[in-house]
Amino acid sequence: MTDGTLDPVIHAQARLRVVATLAVLPTGDELAFPRLRKLLDMTAGNLSTHLRKLEDAGYVAVTKTHEGRTPVTYIGLTPRGRRAFEEYTESLAQLLRGAGA
Amino acid sequence: MATPLSPPDDAEDAPLDPAASMRLIQAQQERAQSLEVDGRLLYGVWGVAWFVGYLLLFGSARGDIGPRGPELGENEPAGWAFAVYGSLLIGALVVTLVHVMVRCRGIRGASALTGAMYGWSWFLGFGAMGAVLAGLARAGADGELMGLASNALASLVVGLIYLSGGALWRTKRLYVLGAWILCVAAVATFAGLPTTYLVMGALGGGGFLVLMAVEHVLRVRARRAIDR
Repeated sequence: MTDGTLDPVIHAQARLRVVATLAVLPTGDELAFPRLRKLLDMTAGNLSTHLRKLEDAGYVAVTKTHEGRTPVTYIGLTPRGRRAFEEYTESLAQLLRGAGA
Repeated sequence: MATPLSPPDDAEDAPLDPAASMRLIQAQQERAQSLEVDGRLLYGVWGVAWFVGYLLLFGSARGDIGPRGPELGENEPAGWAFAVYGSLLIGALVVTLVHVMVRCRGIRGASALTGAMYGWSWFLGFGAMGAVLAGLARAGADGELMGLASNALASLVVGLIYLSGGALWRTKRLYVLGAWILCVAAVATFAGLPTTYLVMGALGGGGFLVLMAVEHVLRVRARRAIDR
């Protein structure tokens, strides 16, 4: 699992930032799309594209719902996504240790 | 579907080296701290409210500071001292509510329910306390007894809710603060008026301020550990 290769789904600037942000939330929590977008400073279109890729990989769950009459989209890490992020940071740490030694 | 957006997409997908990835994660997670409640602010405002508010009550009751009307009994703080004390508590409550609401906006899930139940326990606790005090007054409790009871009950509610918060989020320092406030409740009641106010301000308010400092040190240390 942590054999030194980095997960290509996460190893891209935009998606890494998305996953790193969602990982700050406690397990099982979700974040509304506008707030996530603001934390990332990304355009809605750009963020949607990356979310789709993360969703296809099973790393994030996107839930569309209504609050009153306003449609709201919530995004959260799946257990698989959280694990993938942990493994990614472990691999990074290993690579960095290897480089430093 | 994704192809029309690929130019900006590709630009952001530029390959990263491990060190750059690590920095990116840290920078982003630091930014995402705005999704969490900042304990330093909350302990700070309550610490200041208790510390300043109660010490003013103490000073006023002893006649050391501020004007005192002849109608005041011994050990009884002046009205202005109570007004400042009350305003400080209301201010701390407003800061707390606004801060928590702003930080938690757009978040839903398991922790939101936990947080809501925790928040309600404050209203329930102080609601019941108000009713109990009203009952005591009705049964004929006089000024001094009411002064002791209200401070003791308030500290009891605060201490117990902090214990539950510490248990809920497995935060030992919050649990320790809860236990400390319970001790303050006991000591303040035995101290007797007006020393009760001094105990509440110095030990109770001081307890909050110490925890604010602890929280700050932990944060700075965590950041340094990352930077290394």
